[in-house]
This record gives sequence, C-alpha cells and structure tokens, in this order.
Amino acid sequence: MLDRREFVKLAAALSTAFGIGSFPAPVQAVLNKIDPATIPKIIYLQGLSCSGCSISLLQAESPSPLSMITDYSQLAFHADLSATSGKQALKLIDKFISGQAGDYILAVEGAIPEKMPDACVIGHKTFAAYLEEAAKTMTAAVAIGSCACDGGIPAAEGNLTGAIGLQEFYAKRNIDKIVVNIRGCSVHPDWVWHTIVHLVKVGLPELTEDGSPELFYSKTVHETCPRYHDFQQEIFAEKLGDQGCLFKLGCLGPLTKADCSSRWWNGGRTWCIDANAPCIGCASPSFARKKNVPFYRLNNKA
Amino acid sequence: MKVDLGPVTRLEGHLNVKTIITNNIVEDAQCVGEMFRGFEVILRGRDPLDAQQITQRICGVCPYAHAIASSYAQENAYNLTASHNGRILHNLIQGANHLYDYLLHFYQLSALDFVDITAVLKYTGKDSDLVKVKAWITAELASGKPYPAAPFLPRLSGKYVDNDEANIGALKHYLESMEIQKKANRASAIFGGKFPHATGIFPGGCTQNPDIDLIVSYQSLISEVRDFIHQKYIPDLVTVAQAFPEYWEIGQSKGGFMSFGLLPFSPQSDSRRLFAPGVLLNGTVSAVDLEEAITEDVKYAKYSSPSGLNVRNGELDPDPGKASAYTWIKAPRYNGQMVEVGPAARVLVDYHQGNNQELKNMVDHFAKIAAITPEKLNSVIGRHLSRGICAALIADFLLAESERLDPSKPGCVKIDIPATGEGYGITEASRGALLHYIRLKDHKIEKYECVVPTTWNCSPRDDKGTPGAMETALIGTKVETPDEQIESVRIVHSFDPCLACAVH
Repeated sequence: MLDRREFVKLAAALSTAFGIGSFPAPVQAVLNKIDPATIPKIIYLQGLSCSGCSISLLQAESPSPLSMITDYSQLAFHADLSATSGKQALKLIDKFISGQAGDYILAVEGAIPEKMPDACVIGHKTFAAYLEEAAKTMTAAVAIGSCACDGGIPAAEGNLTGAIGLQEFYAKRNIDKIVVNIRGCSVHPDWVWHTIVHLVKVGLPELTEDGSPELFYSKTVHETCPRYHDFQQEIFAEKLGDQGCLFKLGCLGPLTKADCSSRWWNGGRTWCIDANAPCIGCASPSFARKKNVPFYRLNNKA
Repeated sequence: MKVDLGPVTRLEGHLNVKTIITNNIVEDAQCVGEMFRGFEVILRGRDPLDAQQITQRICGVCPYAHAIASSYAQENAYNLTASHNGRILHNLIQGANHLYDYLLHFYQLSALDFVDITAVLKYTGKDSDLVKVKAWITAELASGKPYPAAPFLPRLSGKYVDNDEANIGALKHYLESMEIQKKANRASAIFGGKFPHATGIFPGGCTQNPDIDLIVSYQSLISEVRDFIHQKYIPDLVTVAQAFPEYWEIGQSKGGFMSFGLLPFSPQSDSRRLFAPGVLLNGTVSAVDLEEAITEDVKYAKYSSPSGLNVRNGELDPDPGKASAYTWIKAPRYNGQMVEVGPAARVLVDYHQGNNQELKNMVDHFAKIAAITPEKLNSVIGRHLSRGICAALIADFLLAESERLDPSKPGCVKIDIPATGEGYGITEASRGALLHYIRLKDHKIEKYECVVPTTWNCSPRDDKGTPGAMETALIGTKVETPDEQIESVRIVHSFDPCLACAVH
C-alpha cells in the first residue's frame, strides 16, 4: 500500500485540488502487486446506519468477501463480523485509533449526529469522538454509503439529530484528510471493494467533484440505461409495472450518477430498472433529502 | 461487580448490556440501545409512497420486512387489495429474505460463539477454501503484526466445540453459507430489483412481472438454498445442540410470546398465514389486538414524550440527557405484559394453535430427539433451532408458492392514494413481530409509527419496573469469566438483536 508520506503528499495535492474545484491528477502506481505482509488494515466503524452497506459488501462476487478479507485487505475490525466483542473489541479499536497498531484505512458506514452526539455511542464514547481521534492517525477514510457521504436518510428534512456526512464533519473541524465517497443506499459491493483494491494497488482513484471515484460515478444512470432507446423513441411507462422508460413515473436516473445501468446488481442478474422500478436516486448526494421531492410521480393529488 | 458487555459485536447496530455480577451470577442486566435516528419524524409530511422505501432503511439486514409491513399498512389505509400475483411476489421476496437472514445469523453472527476456528490449522484435506483459510491463518499468526487473523481472532475466552472434525465442518459451512445467502438474496432481487433495499415493492404488489424466465431462476436458486438448509444448516444446529445441551436451560425469557403471523395464503388482509398470529400467555393463545393493547413506556428511555401511549398516539421527543433513562429503546408492552418475539415465539404461537401440521411435526420430532418439551424453545438453543424450523418450512412454501404465479398477469395494481385514512400493517421480520402504522392527511403522511421486533426483545424496564425479554433471559445466568461473559453474549446472540430496528 501507499506509505504514510505518499498519502500525506496526496492529501495535500487533493485538498488543493478540491480548493480550486478541479480534479486531482491521476496518481502513479506505487505498487503493482499486493504484498500480503503489508495489505492495508481496515477499521470499519458504523454510525447512524442500518448496516445495509455492510450486508451489501457480503453480496460481492469478485473478489468474494472472503478473498477481500484474506487477500486484498485485513478487516481488523467490523462490528458485524468480528469474533471479538466488548472491552476486548474496544481495546483493539483504541490501539489502532491511537496510532499504536500501524497504518490503517478508516471505513465509515452511517451518518454522524452533529447536533446530538449522544445519538450514537460506542462503548461510552461518542461516534464523533472516534472520528476526531482517528483523523490524527488514519491513512485515509472511505465513506461507505449515502449516509456516511452526505447524511443520507438520517439527514433528511425534519430530522432531529443534525446528521451529516463524514466529509462535512471533517470540513467543519478543519481536518484535512482524504475522504473517498462511495455513494449508494446501499452501496454496490464492487464500488467499495474495487476502490479499496485501487487504493492498494494504484493509489487514490480519480475522483469526481463530489469526491467519488470517476470509475463508477462519472455518468448518470440514464445515459447508459438499457431503456435509453425507449426514452428516445418516447416509449414511456404510464403506470407501475409497465415496460419502457420510467421517466414519467418519477425515475431519477437522469439526475443520479452511478453505473448501476451497466454493472447491475446481485451477481449481475438484476437491477431496479430491469424490475420496472424507477431509480430513486439513492447514489445522489441529495438522496431523499426533501419532503416535497417524492420518489415517484404517482400521487398526483398531493 | 459491574461489567458492560458493549459494544456487543456480531449483531446489527449499537448494543451495550450493563450487568452486575455477584458470585459469578448475572444479578442484573440492562439492555442499552446506543443509536437514535428518528425515522418516524422524518416520514411526517412525505409522500405516502416514500414510506416503503424510507422504512427499508431502518434496517439493511431485514429491509424487505419493513417494505412489506409498510405496504400492508398502506393497503389498509388505501382500502386496496393486492393482486393475486402481487401478494405472491411479496411472499417470495420476504420469504427468501428470511432464509438468508437465518443463515447469516447462525453462521456469521453466532457460530464463532461455539466453533473453534483455529481447528483449521490441523486440516489435512484438499478442500480449496479450507486450504486457503489454513494457509492464511498460519501466515497471519507468524506475521508478528498486531491482531493477526482478524476479524476471526481475538475472541472471548470460554468453552468451544472440541471436536476437530465438527469445527472444520462448521467452518466449511460458514464459508459455503455466504455463497448460499447470496443466492437467496439474488432470488428475492429478481422480483424486488436489488438487495438490500428493493425498489420494486409497492402496496398491492411488485413492479416486476412474473415471467416464466424469472420464476425458473427463482425456483432454481431457492432449491439450492433449501438443500443447504436440510443438508447442512439443520445438522449443524443439531451438532451445536448436542455439544452444548446446557443451553436448553440457559437464556429463558420470563414473559409471554407474540407473533404477528407470516406469509399470507391470499391477498385478503385477514388471510390465513403459513405461521399463525397470536399472543401466547400461560399456555393460552389469544388474537392480536393492534388498536389498544400495544403501548410503549418511556420512563427508562431517552424521550420526554408521555409514557404508555398506544401506537396511534405514539410520540417521539428525544431527550438524550434524561436522568432516569438508560437506553434509546422504548418499552413496548401488550396489555401491560412483557412478551418475547422472534423465531421461538413464531413457532410456539403457531404450535399451540395447531395451524401448521408440518411445524408441529418438526417441533415434536426435535423435542423427542433432544428429550425436551416444546416450551424449551424458550432458550438459547431453542431460538436457534426455531430458526431452522422456520427456514425449512419457508423454503418449501416458497417453492410451492412460486408455482401459483400467473405469468399472464401483472405483478402490481393501480394505487389511488386517498386524502385521509389510516392503516396498520403487521408481519414477521426474521427477528419477530413487526408493526407499521400510517395515517394520511391531504394525501401525505401525517403520522407514521413502527413497533419493531428488537424493541420488544431488547426493551428496558417498563414504568412498573418489569424488565424486557432479553433482560430477564440474562438475569440469573452463571458466568465463568465475569469480565467477558461468553455465556451472556450467547444469550444476546440467540435473540439476533437488531438495534437499528429497535430504535429507528
């Protein structure tokens, strides 16, 4: 993996790039082969989350979850999988976060309750406190899922916790750390595992202006939709269950950048639009945000 | 001495359990939900059809249960009856999710409490997965790095299975089950669009039309899952039961049982279900009353809203600093009575009504070979075994149910959302009884309430001071190592807590 010095340099380059609103330059490969002795350790912490992203990661096909754990990274801690528990687990997390267990990548799933820190606690310490402390020692952070990136549904209009995403959380504290945003509610497993492999083998992937890997988030769902032809021919679904372009039912594919339409889901067998289900924009930074922007255009009287 | 077990891992979300240990006995236990998001407030004022999407995000492990409960509640509020295909598709999606969830719970969330994974170091066979894991653990242990072989080590101290062959077999099934879970999820995603968080589920049905091409794929995947359940999962359950027979006696909750019933046979909301609903108190089952009987106390929960409100009048005013409170979880009660929900409740409530003959046969069969009474399903082993019974019955049902689809007809119905109305939706998530309530005003959501399985099971004391189901199951347990309490952790895991669900 990248050593710390490389990452610090990258972080500086990246923050400059963010500052002027352009993209970071492609990063040269620093390692072509994964050395099992130095694979990155991942500390995976959950905040205001539903674990859906963790569950999605277990649906991976290539690499498989086992291969990710044994060949491409070391999952030093994940609350859903770790055998360790309680005080023993806290000790492990603290050892990494205090910088005593070597380099690690912080993986974060879930939003941060900025206005109500007690709304998320891990072993008597707030989730926010862990994130502040980890910022001092981690190599980089990967924000997994729409909640970790932008607050997601916990940050929807009218919420009581003041939920925000990791990037905003660090920006508010003037913490200058790389945060790679993997959006989606939930994420596609490939988006996360392949980003981690990219970090290990090549370095930081090219990011969009929203901080997501270009590789997965450069085009809208609509642009590469198999039903784009229907759209051009003005063959529209008029009611639920119809074939054709789902735009009139409220499909948010034209506003949502993600490669679902070419990657598909669950082993490549299916995805929302193939099931005639309009895209609800779950990979968009504004997913579910406003009460008056419903997912569907089916409730015409409202 | 006081010992906190949190963060308890290998469950969903943020759970602490505060215990007081005297002479190696758990004298007191308090379940502490440590995360709050406020979904019910977020839903107010939104389009009602957002609800089955938003509520799925309460839980990424059992999202479909929420989508289905929300769809039922909306059907009830819209006076809408699902189509023939629609109800079947709901069942096929939700049922497949149960199968995956039982396997995830037993292998990934619970097995490491019982199985000694280091036995693989003695493996001499040629299975490629096991050879790989053996080589990996060997290299990790020799690497000198901190925390080698994480996430499988370190682990709590305690007695594990001491038979190498059984341990290695269980590890093999741990790995295989991950592939099988994917297949169950692929099956549900065929009709739901994707897993987790399906976009195809609506009140009245699903957007996917059941072409024969899809039905065949679904059946093929579920058949593989069914084979795994019979050939590996249930035998592994029996192995654990035989290695840890004392756990038939450990982890007994001290209240009643409640199930909302699962997998309806027809589109009508009062249809008979594969698992019958009911409340089981002192050996007698009564019908579930949703209107008045269910109330939520908050004396020990971090809310300033009034205590003891029924579902329709539920309120949510968070008060993180509330002095008397120790958790974000409310204390739901049924006619003031504490009840356990979940697989054991689902099985016992059905068993006592004689609703499902296959279920009765399986319970009697296992009771006979383990020399126990059916009431012992109220235990650590009993909850695990109940999941196996549910899995076997659901897998068979799904294969038969998929035959009943009519490929010439659509999967959903037209939805007209009235300006006003209210509706209840009840089903069984894998973790137990799930209720959604919706009330409409001006075609939008005026009020939404969810009473969720782990809210019942990880409930704190109610206003009268009566502990919740899991708290009662922990109190009185003998523990070898008070600081770690693998015994208590096994009890907690047997309930399969989902904290994101419990508080939401």
